[in-house]
Amino acid sequence: MSSDEAFVLEVLAALRDSGVEAIVVGSVAALLQGAPLTTDDMDVLIRDTPANRSKLKDLEQRLGGKAIALSPLSSAVRITTHQAHLDILFDEIPGGLGFQGLRARSARVDLGDAVAVVASLEDIIASKEAAGRPKDLAQLPVLRDTLRVLRALKKS
Amino acid sequence: MQPDAPAPSDLEALIAKVQQEQARLAPLLPDIDPGDLNSILVAIFRPWGMGRRFFIRRLPSGANVF
Repeated sequence: MSSDEAFVLEVLAALRDSGVEAIVVGSVAALLQGAPLTTDDMDVLIRDTPANRSKLKDLEQRLGGKAIALSPLSSAVRITTHQAHLDILFDEIPGGLGFQGLRARSARVDLGDAVAVVASLEDIIASKEAAGRPKDLAQLPVLRDTLRVLRALKKS
Repeated sequence: MQPDAPAPSDLEALIAKVQQEQARLAPLLPDIDPGDLNSILVAIFRPWGMGRRFFIRRLPSGANVF
């Protein structure tokens, strides 16, 4: 197992043990479903509730990092660990995609020691289209191709 | 062998599966570049825990490394 794979399992275990229900979104969600991507962080979406905000302290301790606000323009926080950044987003991702809808359309990916709840590839594509940053737009062709390949595999 | 490297038998099974699916799907998806299709199929069928690396780290020099 690579250190990157181990980090994903570590984050999923920390979220579970902290009692935070999270959906993996962004590039890591896409690559867990077969997109050949690279990234510099792992994004998860949680509900913005007082309970979840207080659970972040526990999550910080488990991951050995401190949650820092990413920007005054965003509610997202980042926990930087020895391995990679974990970005925690609240309530919705670009494209107006909210927690409830994302969870209803999510997929469950079996990772052996853990099950990751991940945003659907369709939702990830919609979110990256809406975000419109150069790094998101650059990933769209391979994400669309991955979706087509997955659909072709399902058909047969 | 590096600690992350998959066992040769696992690797051979992955290559065989990818080759089989590439041969089947390539005619159905002719506008997908063959190299891209191969990368996607490897990513889809590579078992979790087989040593995949995907986090990029930026060095102080500005270089990006896995």
